[in-house]
Amino acid sequence: MITALAAAILLQGQPALDIEPQSTPRVVAALSQEVVEIRSDFAGAEIILFGAVTNMQAEDDLVIVVRGPEADLRVMRKERTFGIWINRAPVRFEDVPSYYSVASTRPLSDVGGFSALRREGIGLQHLRLSAPESERTEIRLGVEVTVSEIGEDIIEYRDAISRNRRRDALFAETTTGVQMLEGGLFRANVALPPATPVGDYEADVYLFRNGNAVAAGTVTLEVRKAGLERVIYNFAHTHGWLYGLVAVALALLFGWGAAAIFSRR
Amino acid sequence: MQIYLPIAEISVNIFLLLGLGLGIGFLSGMFGVGGGFLMTPLLIFIGIPPAVAVSTEANQIVASSSSGALAHWRRKTLDIKMGLLLLVGGASGSIAGVQLFSFLRSLGQIDLIISLCYVGFLGIIGGLMFIESVGAVLRRNRARHASQPVSKRRKRRLIDRLPFKTRFPASGLYLSVIPPIIIGFFVGTLAAIMGVGGGFIMVPAMIYILRMPTSVVVGTSLFQILFVTALTTFLQSAQNQTVDIVLALLLIVGGVIGAQFGARAGRHVKAEELRIALALMVLAVCTKLGWDLVATPADLFAILPLREGGH
Repeated sequence: MITALAAAILLQGQPALDIEPQSTPRVVAALSQEVVEIRSDFAGAEIILFGAVTNMQAEDDLVIVVRGPEADLRVMRKERTFGIWINRAPVRFEDVPSYYSVASTRPLSDVGGFSALRREGIGLQHLRLSAPESERTEIRLGVEVTVSEIGEDIIEYRDAISRNRRRDALFAETTTGVQMLEGGLFRANVALPPATPVGDYEADVYLFRNGNAVAAGTVTLEVRKAGLERVIYNFAHTHGWLYGLVAVALALLFGWGAAAIFSRR
Repeated sequence: MQIYLPIAEISVNIFLLLGLGLGIGFLSGMFGVGGGFLMTPLLIFIGIPPAVAVSTEANQIVASSSSGALAHWRRKTLDIKMGLLLLVGGASGSIAGVQLFSFLRSLGQIDLIISLCYVGFLGIIGGLMFIESVGAVLRRNRARHASQPVSKRRKRRLIDRLPFKTRFPASGLYLSVIPPIIIGFFVGTLAAIMGVGGGFIMVPAMIYILRMPTSVVVGTSLFQILFVTALTTFLQSAQNQTVDIVLALLLIVGGVIGAQFGARAGRHVKAEELRIALALMVLAVCTKLGWDLVATPADLFAILPLREGGH
């Protein structure tokens, strides 16, 4: 890792010698691991995101956002019917990240302005959770706005997604997660919980100056099943019929095998 | 030691799973029950997704019923003709059940239906078992064998008026083919939705509705359960991809060993007291599931994936 850091500094050393010394900051980042493998003993993982910023000023802030693969979700509200809680009122959300974590050098509200954070979708408050089927666009006072057909309720539904994911540590926000080291170097820990879904992840590092993102760098991460877990999962999903036959055959083998072994004693 | 289950996609303690298999296997060996009706709720309690718990449990029942079915086959203590008719009903019931399962899952109601089925059946079975075993203990303590001669004369019932009658030589019955098919269908549907073998419904139905002699009831029931759960495992794998083979193997290993010890232990203990204990356990699981249905949930919102396993 140290050599990688050194390489990053060397690379970034070049533009510092160029003609425009102060104006354009740049961010480079790397991960301690670019592939996380889920094997039979997987119980979560912690990887380190590190890098360097050139032309960083004293008041600048760094924000790191890690986003997992997106999937559609259905959120249902439980309502009591005949004394029993039943799932009702489904709302379909599209392209919800399955993993989303934010780490920053200071609280997000101190780092960037509302619109800057909203534009980039930085922070659980600003993460875009859209339910297109329950939305329509209207022209109000000459401006096109998105209106939810279920009104204020949509906020509760969005909160429910965030709450649910935070419970499994799949959504996280820490204001102290990014550690600044000397000479524009930084590092942050990215915690992947046991429930981490497989897929392609993207980590964005934003440099904030005066409330706006002035530079950004991106690294990618892949989480995948490996070894026997991968073989079994793929087998189940590509050859379901054959998988079922194998499952039945194994069960018969064990059932009869045990009976044979124990009756011989 | 944690193990990551590839289909359930969660990490579970391996000794917990082996222990569950052993414990439920022990009980099923001792009482001659399948154990599916206890195992599936317990798997759900420890966090296995209900869809995976139900399908995987069907796979485990294939193993636990296979040795018994083989033994009865060798001793010829089963009615193959009746078993085949039950199987015809059971196979269609299993196919219907798997479709119903997929449909309910698409509505986001599968967890509710599984819980409701369990509360209903566990409540009835546990209650009846409790009353019956307490009664048996009381009778034994009074040491009065009031053995009333059971009337052998059969009343002509609705079931005897149904068409398509045929002979069942092994059971000594002359009966319509419709009741066995309907019973098989019902049990097959339950097997697919609840992840049970259905012996706890099949055996009473065979004795009280079909009036089969008890000597062939258990063998025939096991024969039907073996094939229906095998079919359910196969169909759930093919259609819903919800059978977790790693979870199934852990439960099977614990289960087959536990069942052997349970069968041995069962010969040396007082059956009635243990039946009371089993009844109380069944009622406890029923109460827990029932409570979860009526208690105000910690989170009023449920998040359901739309494309299952579509990574």
